[in-house]
Amino acid sequence: MKRKGIYKTYHYIIIAFLIVFCGIMMFPMVWMFLTSFRTNADIRMNKTSILPEVWTMEGYVKAFTQAPLMKWFLNSILITLVLTGTVIITSTLIGYVFAKYEFKMKKTLFVLLLATMMVPGQVTMIPRFLMIQKMGLFNTQWALIIPGIVSAFGIYLSRQFIADIPDSICEAAKIDGAAPFAIYWRIILPNIKPAIGSLGIFTAMMSWNDYLNPLLMLNDKEKMTLPLALVVFSTEHTQDLTTTMAAATVIMLPMIIIFIIFQKQFIKGLALSGMK
Amino acid sequence: MRDRKFVCFVLAPSFLLLFIFVVFPLFYGLGISFFDYNPARNHNPFLGFDNYIKMFQDPIFKKAVVNTFIFGIVAVFINIVVTLFLAQIISVLPSKRWKTVFRTILFIPCIAPMVGTALVWNSGIIETDGGLLNRIAGWFGVAPKNWLMTTGALMTIIIVYTIWADLGYNVVLFSAGLEGVPTEFDEAASIDGAGPVRRFFQIKLPLMGRTFAFVAIMTMANYFQMFAQFRVIAPKGGVKYCAMVLTNYIYRQSFTNYDMGYASAIAMALFIIVFAVALIQNKMMRSDWGYE
Repeated sequence: MKRKGIYKTYHYIIIAFLIVFCGIMMFPMVWMFLTSFRTNADIRMNKTSILPEVWTMEGYVKAFTQAPLMKWFLNSILITLVLTGTVIITSTLIGYVFAKYEFKMKKTLFVLLLATMMVPGQVTMIPRFLMIQKMGLFNTQWALIIPGIVSAFGIYLSRQFIADIPDSICEAAKIDGAAPFAIYWRIILPNIKPAIGSLGIFTAMMSWNDYLNPLLMLNDKEKMTLPLALVVFSTEHTQDLTTTMAAATVIMLPMIIIFIIFQKQFIKGLALSGMK
Repeated sequence: MRDRKFVCFVLAPSFLLLFIFVVFPLFYGLGISFFDYNPARNHNPFLGFDNYIKMFQDPIFKKAVVNTFIFGIVAVFINIVVTLFLAQIISVLPSKRWKTVFRTILFIPCIAPMVGTALVWNSGIIETDGGLLNRIAGWFGVAPKNWLMTTGALMTIIIVYTIWADLGYNVVLFSAGLEGVPTEFDEAASIDGAGPVRRFFQIKLPLMGRTFAFVAIMTMANYFQMFAQFRVIAPKGGVKYCAMVLTNYIYRQSFTNYDMGYASAIAMALFIIVFAVALIQNKMMRSDWGYE
C-alpha cells in the first residue's frame, strides 16, 4: 500500500464490513474442512465446538477406500475437457459464419438459435432421457457429451466478438486466396482469444458442476461425475459425517485452489461474458 | 462474404444437433403429455387433455407454481440488491489488492457444485442437532428445531442458501459494469455536490443499464430453473410441499412415479412460464443507454 493518503474513514468501514461479510460467507466451507478431520464421536459429543478435538485422517482414508473417488475425478475431468474443447470449436466456427458471411435466412436462423437458449433443460429432460435410451447411449458418458456439442450461448458470445473484427481484414485474406478455414484459423481465432478464454471457463464450470444431466443419464457408480457421485455417496453414509465431509472436501478443494491461482483470468473471463 | 458451401458445411450439422436435442424434444414432450406414458409399459393409452385437466386440479402443482414464482422473484430481487451493493462498495476501494481479495472470496461458493455446497449446508447449518442455525437460535433461548420439517422457514433457508451460493457471479458482472462507466460523469456530479447514494442511483446505475438488464434476465431465467439445491435440501418438497418447485415436481413425477405423461404436461407449463417471464422482462428492460 504505497498510496496511504487516499484511504478515508469510510474506506476502512467498508473494508471492515467486507471482512466480516466474507468471514460469514466462508463459514460453511471452513466448517466442511474442519469437520472432515474430526471423528464421528467427537462430532456427536462436542456440539458447541467446530474444531477437531484430535485431528484425524480417518474420513479421508474411508472416502478413498470405500468409493472410486479417483475414477469419479477422471470421469469429470475427461467430460469437462472434451465438452469444453468441442464447444469452443463449434461456437467460434458457427459464430464466425454468422458474423462474417451473408446467406439466406441468416436472421431467422440466428433468432431461432437464440430462442433455443430459452428452453430450460428440465422441460426437455423427459424426451431427452427417452431418446438417449433409444439411441443406446443411456449409462454412457456420450449421453453427457453429444447433446452438449452445440451451445447457443457460446455461438452468441463468439458472434458478438467476431463481429468486432473488421470485415476488410477477412475480405483481404479471401482475395489473397485464403480458404474459409484458413481465415478462421489464422485471423478469427487469434483475434478473439479473450472471448475463447471466457467461453472456456464458462463451459468448463457448467460441465464440471452439472448435476441434472448425469442424474438422468448415468446409472453406474463407476461412470458418475463428481457432483452426482457426491450425492450418492452421502446417501450411503448418512450416519458418517466425517467421511461425507472428507469426500466433499476432496471434491471441492482442488477446484477452489485452481480458481484462487487463476482468479484473475477467471474473473476477467466471466466479466467479459456479461459485457457483450 | 459469401460462400454457400462453407456456410452449409458448418450450419447443417450444428442445426441438426440443435434440432435433435432441443427442438424435437420440445414437440416430443408435448406429444407425451397427451398420453398416460410409462416407458416400462408396452401400451400407453391416449388421454387427450386429461393430464392438463388433472394438472389444474392438482393442489401440489398449484403450490409448485406459487413456490417457483416466490423463489424466482424474491431470490432474484435480493440477489440483485445484495450483489449491486457489494459490487459498488468494493469498486470504491482505492486499492486493487483489496478489490481482488474480496471478489475472489465472494466467488468461491460459485466454483463448487451446488449439490456439494447444499450438502454442506444440510449437515452443517440446517441440521437439528448442532447445526449453526440452532446454535444461533440457542443464544436467544430458542429451542432447537428440525428446520427441514418447518413450513415457513424452509423456503427462506433455501433462498438464503441460493444467494450465498450464487452471489459471487453477479458481483463480478456488476463490478465489470460499474468499472465500465466513465468516471467523468461521476466526478462531475460529485463536484456539483451529489452524495454517493444519489450518484449511484442517478448516474452509475442508468449508465450501466445494459449490464443490469443482462444480469437481471440471466439470473431470473436461471432461478426459475433451479433444481440441485431443492433436490438435496427438500427432495420431497418439504412438509405440505412448502418447498416444492416445478423442476423438482417434474423430476419426481417422471423419475419417481414414472408418470411421464403427467410430468410432460407440467414441463410444458414450466416452459410457458419461463418463456412468458423472459418476454415480459425483455420488454421492460429494453435498454439502449450509451455513454454519449
